Amino acid sequence: MSGIIEVDNLTFGYTSETAILKDMSFNVRPGTFVAIAGPNGAGKSTLLNLMCRALMPNSGTIRIDAAAIESYSTKALAAKVAVVRQELAPIFGFSVMETVLMARTPYYGSTGFEGRADREIANDALEATDTARFAYRPLTSLSSGERQRVFIARALAQNSLIMLLDEPTNILDLKHQVGIYDLLKTAQVEKGKTIVAVTHDINLAIQYCDEILLLGAESGYHIGKTKAVLSPEKIKEVFDVDVFAGGIGQEEFFIPLGKFAKDSIKMNKESGNI
Amino acid sequence: MEQLLTSKKLIAKVALALAVLAAVVFVCSRIGTEDVSLKAVLAGPGTQAAPNPDYEIFIRIRLPRIILAGLVGAALACAGVVFQVLLRNPLADPYILGISSGAGLGAIIAVISGFNWTLWGRSPIAVFAFGGALGTVWLVWFIGRLTGKFHVTGLLLAGVVVNAFFSALMMFLTSIAKSDQVYSTIFWLMGNMKEGDFLVLWIAAGCIIGGIVALFYIGPQLNALSFGADDAGSMGVDVVRTRTIAFGIAAGITAVAVSLSGLIGFVGLVVPHGVRLVFGPDHRQLLPLSGITGAIFLVIADTLARIVVAPAQLPVGVVTAIVGGPFFLILLVKYSRKVSWLK
Repeated sequence: MSGIIEVDNLTFGYTSETAILKDMSFNVRPGTFVAIAGPNGAGKSTLLNLMCRALMPNSGTIRIDAAAIESYSTKALAAKVAVVRQELAPIFGFSVMETVLMARTPYYGSTGFEGRADREIANDALEATDTARFAYRPLTSLSSGERQRVFIARALAQNSLIMLLDEPTNILDLKHQVGIYDLLKTAQVEKGKTIVAVTHDINLAIQYCDEILLLGAESGYHIGKTKAVLSPEKIKEVFDVDVFAGGIGQEEFFIPLGKFAKDSIKMNKESGNI
Repeated sequence: MEQLLTSKKLIAKVALALAVLAAVVFVCSRIGTEDVSLKAVLAGPGTQAAPNPDYEIFIRIRLPRIILAGLVGAALACAGVVFQVLLRNPLADPYILGISSGAGLGAIIAVISGFNWTLWGRSPIAVFAFGGALGTVWLVWFIGRLTGKFHVTGLLLAGVVVNAFFSALMMFLTSIAKSDQVYSTIFWLMGNMKEGDFLVLWIAAGCIIGGIVALFYIGPQLNALSFGADDAGSMGVDVVRTRTIAFGIAAGITAVAVSLSGLIGFVGLVVPHGVRLVFGPDHRQLLPLSGITGAIFLVIADTLARIVVAPAQLPVGVVTAIVGGPFFLILLVKYSRKVSWLK
């Protein structure tokens, strides 16, 4: 089956000698929610940047919606792919509404002003992300969780087929983490968006994502249904950490246990290793 | 509740600002060492044998100088806006990438060589300063490009180093020059309004106003760029094109301003900040309002420079710094809660 994102024999390195992504090939099917996980430095954000053309591959091809990524104009690509980056800090104090409207910039007429349709799209995005309450507050006066929702609203206002997110929840508390994932899931289900999110939180990915791309620093990559890819052995191989695996509902979750974690010590004592 | 900027609101604000500018120009044109009666001015130029002194002073001396101050103020303020967003640095001003030292070096070379020609009524100082300014920006841009696609840090460092190097060359040339030459260079560096002829004024007005209008039309793209190049790009903004246009125009109008009036500091830093603090960061509004405010500011500053120690004159650059500094601090304290980078 053809994918909305088709990556073929992709190789990329920041220097010509060392490639951090080697010969990768995978497809992302339309309307799926895919997590990218892996240790630091494995190239997760790099892969995301390649998929939105912020970087160009050394070799191999990326096709977006059946056309080579380099064949798109900037505006046309923005209609296919929206990106939510990490820790966006605006330098000037734009309001929430102004920020979300910026997603419509390529569609402004010759007057340099948004049309009524652009405003409606922005308003819908604010409603969908529950940010309309503070539409006219400056971005800088918001909490991290609220700000992240605003940037997701801006990505939604781009009306793109695909949404790429780089660690959307890494600075948020538990409530806001699930809040963001609920929001993304809604966008996937109701709007049919294809969502690719880089994350460190495997358990959230298990609960929300259809597929996972596990990217190892040296050990290659694995992609597939979350249940098929994730196992204590695979996690040990990719992250080099022991995990406790268990389940309460239908999904299995994984808790990393270091050498001196209380339960590691207890388990080691019981098994007579100390 | 704060509402969005619409084209109607923008036109109203710009019209209001232009009215204030017109009022300021009117008042300032009435002030001077000579009292000029408007009635006498309206009587026309008089005859060859019996020229009308009021007309001569008002039309040939005072008005061109006020128009020049307005143009220079508008150019520097708008260039300041553009450099602040392109470099994503609130401390940026039109001179940050070495334009000032390049122009200064050009000026002193012209002074020392003792050239004795004019181009469109401009002295070699102006022509050399213009060339020096544009040459330096090109050099900094070129070095910046060598450090990466568009590395803000690389560009800024290249600007700082080129600035320091050219300043050193300038000081070297100053130290070996004759003392009267040195004086005229230093006076030029302090920034001065001179009565130029109308042709130069028209050319400059065309360049500067045309440049500002063009910048206004990339205002939405500049808004997106304040979130960084990658982000603007993924929103569908052609970053390279926007940057090239904005950078070229900002450097061009700064070079025109510098060649007309020397180095006038503070306008390009204070005015954009003041306008942004009061009216917000949207470039569609920030650019026209900064241009008009810059014009108002410099017309007033130049009037002060004309009258404070009359019949002698102060360099207008001194006035802008003395007036602009405290004024900016008041704004800063009053509105600091509205802006992010102060936190």
